[in-house]
Amino acid sequence: MNVDEMPQPRGRFENRLEAELVRVVAERAAAVPGTLGAQGTAAKSRTAVVWARSPGPVERIAGRLLRSPGLARALVTTPSLLLPWLIASAAVLAAGAAATIGTGKPMVAVLAPAVAAAGIAYAYGPGIDPAWELSRSLAVSDRMVLLVRALAVFGLDAGLGLAASAASARAVGITFGWLVPMTALCCLTLAVATVARSANTGVGAGLAGWALLILGGQASNGRFTAAIGDPALVLPYLAFAAVCVVIALYATRTPKGTR
Amino acid sequence: MNVEITDLTRRFGRTQAVAGVDLAVGAGVFGLLGPNGAGKTSLLRMLATVIPPSSGTLKLLGRDPGSYPQRRQIRRRLGYLPQNLGYYAGFTVAEFVEYFALLKEMPPERVPTAVATAMERTGLGDKARAKLRTLSGGMLRRAGIAQAIVNEPELLLLDEPTAGLDPQQRVAFRALLRDLGQRATVVVSTHLVEDVGAACSQVALMDRGKIVFCGTPAELTAQAEGTDAEGDAPLERGYSAVLAAARTSTGAW
Repeated sequence: MNVDEMPQPRGRFENRLEAELVRVVAERAAAVPGTLGAQGTAAKSRTAVVWARSPGPVERIAGRLLRSPGLARALVTTPSLLLPWLIASAAVLAAGAAATIGTGKPMVAVLAPAVAAAGIAYAYGPGIDPAWELSRSLAVSDRMVLLVRALAVFGLDAGLGLAASAASARAVGITFGWLVPMTALCCLTLAVATVARSANTGVGAGLAGWALLILGGQASNGRFTAAIGDPALVLPYLAFAAVCVVIALYATRTPKGTR
Repeated sequence: MNVEITDLTRRFGRTQAVAGVDLAVGAGVFGLLGPNGAGKTSLLRMLATVIPPSSGTLKLLGRDPGSYPQRRQIRRRLGYLPQNLGYYAGFTVAEFVEYFALLKEMPPERVPTAVATAMERTGLGDKARAKLRTLSGGMLRRAGIAQAIVNEPELLLLDEPTAGLDPQQRVAFRALLRDLGQRATVVVSTHLVEDVGAACSQVALMDRGKIVFCGTPAELTAQAEGTDAEGDAPLERGYSAVLAAARTSTGAW
């Protein structure tokens, strides 16, 4: 055995240091309410190990981009950005792509706006967030959290929709045509969800509005894509989206008179 | 003074929840007593910057919450436990406390230790991995308290913090309050007089939007002397006496 590996006799200093550490830990455990002496101390060390969480790569990148670890955390906990939701969205759009290929009808263009609108409603805006009251007292404002979440959901669903459109080449003619209606529909959903303070109401309004447009186009022109690819509708869609954004901003303002 | 309020009012439509409150609160535990509907929660929500006042002036930690940059600075130093704690059912206790620590803009490197400490102080150390949906009402309340104290706030606002806690937990919580009050301003809204007697150095009694008494718990107790006020404990009798006097003077019950 090497001399360095042999147990060395402990000096008085080491013994005193150890005794001091034990005393401090015991005193702290006794002084901190809600802990039970040695059990509390043991639990503390256990807790520090148990709960320690290192942010994943997405959260780390988002934290750098947004310059806020809090916003990044809020973003990755968005219900409509969680894996099950993303899988469901991708599955719906994949089914749409398959239907497009099979029937030649641009089903992706019909489904993508609806999927994005539902995701936006479940981005946990003010009043819909279960911890809304608490979120109103935080340094990172609830409006900023909603903005980041809504943009992320929109961007991701748009990406999924574009991928599905590209995969179903027969509908390539309106690959980008549905992006503008999708924007308007998402803004409608957001506005209704924040005003009604209910994600379900927002989804209902969005889907009902979209269904009316699709069925209206079918009834008037015999084409259900009439409301999607018509360049003349771009400006009305954008104007409608702007109005909805104003309504959402008004609904999420700091209340002055009544609540 | 960490809380300075002058002629503060808050209206909800035709209802005046807070009707001209003047208050100055320094370090220590400050109890806010009053019957249901007295305006305690509305006052606390204004202190938490959740709602703005309808009129009057409010200064928190020497800053004006009406200005966005100053409000953000206040919120970094604020801990708040609302009466109805909303929570994310799928979060674990640790995730819940960590989430709010990050949104309070705590430096990320300080968050792990702060979360562990907050959970230990509220006796939730062994529940760190438990999902919130599996917790009892008392444990949820403690998780709420943990998120409120995680950033070691300079101003801690607790609305009915002992609701749902069992007697043993309430005793431990009062000790925690006294400990926190040594370094920060802690405002506790409650209708449980015994909480105030055990933990608070100062107390205000609200009724119909106004503060009708402000002093120490001993001074509140003394208000019952020479009256036939009802109550099982001296402090309760003082509470009843002040309330009766306030309502008699305005001719309303």
